[in-house]
Amino acid sequence: MATNIVIDPVTRIEGHLRVECEVENGVIKDAWVSGTLFRGMEMVLKGRAPSDAFYVAQRICGVCPISHGHAATMAAEQALEVTIPNGARIVRNIIEAAQYLHSHILWFYTLAALDYIDPGKALEANIANTYALAQQAGTTTSDFKAVQDKLKGLVAGGQLSIFTNGWFNHPAYSQTMPPELALIGVAHYLEALELQAEAARVIAIMGGKFPHFMTSLPGGTAWVPTEEKLDDILFRLIRVRDFVYNTMIPDTLAIAPFYTEALKYGGGHGNFLAWGVFNRESLQMKDRYLPEGAVFAGSLKAEEADPAKIKEYVKRSWFDAGDGGLNPAQGMTNPEFTKYDINGQYSWAKAPRYDGKPMEAGPLSRMLVAYLKGVEPVKKIVDVALAKLGATGKPEVLVSLLGRIAARNLETAVVADWALEWVTELTNALKGGDVKLFEPSTASSGDGAGMWEAPRGALGHWMNVSSGRIANYQICTPSTWNIGGRDDAGVTGVIEQALIGAPCIDTEKPMEAARIVRSFDP
Amino acid sequence: MAHEDRLLYEQLADRGVTRRHFLKFCGSVAAMLGLSEAMVPTIAAAVEKAVALKLTPAVWLDGGLCTGCTESTAQSTYPDVAQIVLDILSMNYMETLMYATGESAEAALKETVAKYKGKFIMIYEGAVMTGWDGNALRIAGKPSLEQIMEVAPNAAAILAVGSCAVDGGWVKAYPNPAKAMGIGEYLKSQNVATPVINLPTCPVNPEWIVTMVVDVLLLGKLESGAILKDLDQFGRPKIIFGQTVHDNCPRRGHFENGEFVQQFGSAEEAKNYCLYAMGCKGPQTYTNCPTVRWNNQVSWCVESGSPCIGCGDFDWVDENAPFLDRFRHIGIGQYTETGGYNPAKVAALAGGVVAGALVVHGVGMYAAGRIGEGPPTEEMKDYDRKRAKKGGDS
Repeated sequence: MATNIVIDPVTRIEGHLRVECEVENGVIKDAWVSGTLFRGMEMVLKGRAPSDAFYVAQRICGVCPISHGHAATMAAEQALEVTIPNGARIVRNIIEAAQYLHSHILWFYTLAALDYIDPGKALEANIANTYALAQQAGTTTSDFKAVQDKLKGLVAGGQLSIFTNGWFNHPAYSQTMPPELALIGVAHYLEALELQAEAARVIAIMGGKFPHFMTSLPGGTAWVPTEEKLDDILFRLIRVRDFVYNTMIPDTLAIAPFYTEALKYGGGHGNFLAWGVFNRESLQMKDRYLPEGAVFAGSLKAEEADPAKIKEYVKRSWFDAGDGGLNPAQGMTNPEFTKYDINGQYSWAKAPRYDGKPMEAGPLSRMLVAYLKGVEPVKKIVDVALAKLGATGKPEVLVSLLGRIAARNLETAVVADWALEWVTELTNALKGGDVKLFEPSTASSGDGAGMWEAPRGALGHWMNVSSGRIANYQICTPSTWNIGGRDDAGVTGVIEQALIGAPCIDTEKPMEAARIVRSFDP
Repeated sequence: MAHEDRLLYEQLADRGVTRRHFLKFCGSVAAMLGLSEAMVPTIAAAVEKAVALKLTPAVWLDGGLCTGCTESTAQSTYPDVAQIVLDILSMNYMETLMYATGESAEAALKETVAKYKGKFIMIYEGAVMTGWDGNALRIAGKPSLEQIMEVAPNAAAILAVGSCAVDGGWVKAYPNPAKAMGIGEYLKSQNVATPVINLPTCPVNPEWIVTMVVDVLLLGKLESGAILKDLDQFGRPKIIFGQTVHDNCPRRGHFENGEFVQQFGSAEEAKNYCLYAMGCKGPQTYTNCPTVRWNNQVSWCVESGSPCIGCGDFDWVDENAPFLDRFRHIGIGQYTETGGYNPAKVAALAGGVVAGALVVHGVGMYAAGRIGEGPPTEEMKDYDRKRAKKGGDS
């Protein structure tokens, strides 16, 4: 008999989300994903100065403000016809890369790891064996005894703090994973807190602070690089890169073999969209380090991504019907709450479609597009991972829960290398003499779009400017692509479809569903 | 001896916190409280003594938020976020970091409220969302206002972290689509008397949370009532929000010399000249950003080359935008000693936007003005114009 289960709130994500699933015989048969918060950024931005969008729009998300800031500023630059100098482009690439490193490390360890590593198991680990296992796995060691003592102290004290009511001993945890690997995981969970902060300090040096930064204003950057600051940034980024290569990637490869069944579910519709990220000197969307592209289910071909093919639907969301079926360049936002009803309207998220199809946004989309387009460092590292999974030459296995996680962590390694390259590029430019950083604009009207990628996926900001003021503003976030629900035709959204067919062994504690939702880093 | 009867330091030792780490933590607290290093042993002793019972239970509620204040808290260094949530507080509910999810998470919240009634700390992030009868934000299948009312009246004190929690922040900016407001204002409307400590800026600076956790919780200033004396009339700790950014700005010397940046990317910008002419809101913004700085003190907004946008101000988005324009008539030294607020803003808070607009100083831009011509701005203040020539001496 089918039962409906609810996860509300879904914790360890950015913002608020509710997931409802219909489960029958231990398998998820249907799913409804509900964005439960409406704030109205698009309405707030109307009537303001175009440059204010940079400062305000990034505050839509405290986990990826850099990407929103950049998309907003690019929209303003396109509307006001200003081309940023090359120095500013490199500065922006480094800030964006630092945010990717911050975000992916934080996601893997702080938000996701507890779904795969039972922290309670770490108490049973033998310390000497833990060191041996770490060496065997090629991952870094920590003071494992101190970490285990810390856990023992928490349990003895009876105040579990953030571990209160956790799903210890859940049957969905690997029953064969040695407790020593759990202890390694917990140790690196704590260590990652420092490393995500180190990556964020790079943003703070170049942008004043993180979250929410100050310098990528329309026209370029307000930050002035000096050799001293670039040295500081370089060595911090080297430290983060070392962590990614020596800890995060080996940890991923050590844990993955215990969850290979996650290669069999969690894939979803299998359509992928990326606008591309990290500009080259041309500043063209078609010429990015991580390229744009659209991949449709069943095909291993990356087509050109065209923002004109987006339409957002609202029949099942809490918006006025008139907001439906529009491209964001003409989009409207007229919120209208009715009631929560999975057979009717059930979400504050619109349902975006590309060429009529629900598209997944995120690192998996970017890695697939880059792989299919033959981007060298991506191809190299993905091929290594596929070989380890016993799937050489079969990138399609990545269309799964485990593949989505692997794609994010592999991307972290690629971006970590590029970040160092760009610091060197900027240092050389600085040594060569003048680095131009800002180009003012005199235009006061025009339309623009900033198509970009947040760490969690394809992002677009659209801005219409008239007489120096924002006449209309629209945002389509990666989480809207992923959490958006059913469209007017009743076709499920991206996470909804990824949930369908997944196992659910304990309907009281739907661990597998939570894993799938978190794998999108919504 | 029962665990709960032991000293904080012994409990910390159980958790692998060394004496050295503990003193380092006390040292950074001393620095934040503006005390000398000599005070470290005193703080250590006070902290140990004050928390003879157990770790203070706390719950962190997410309102209409961007999660930026949680993110910011994760950037804290001494103590780091793990120490905050494991060694100092027992953070029994915190959506973004907690292990539990769904019903298990909600149960942890209910149990904490029931078990520690009147003794736990509530931290509130994001705006209170009152739109559509509270359905602008639903948590656990209900309007989030219900969660607030189940928790807030039972808390010992509330820390409102970030501008959204303090007064609605950008979410409340015109036209305030989801009827957002600050937690203090909302609780007042519901006759809930739990004291609220306001920590504005967008996001909150983690150093301020740490300062309050120690000052308020560990040093027992809440129980003695001493903490209320340390707050200004807007519920903000004077130690953090008592002076303007301009007061302590390292570029202040250039302001005094009349050396201003007139264009981003210019030679003047490279010389770290004053950003006043670029719209800097440092003169009217009351925070200690220039001294405490951000992200383990590596930088802060003005040091990175951007003018301060006044994110620690009340109604900061409507009051301060366009951020790169200078306001007409804003006078340095026009603010009162006590609250640091000019009459326009006080009136705006007390009597709403219309009253604010009627006050003479003209800073209190009313919401309708913004969508028309916007607030009154000028290319350059008279004061700057006279001195601008000195700025371009390269």
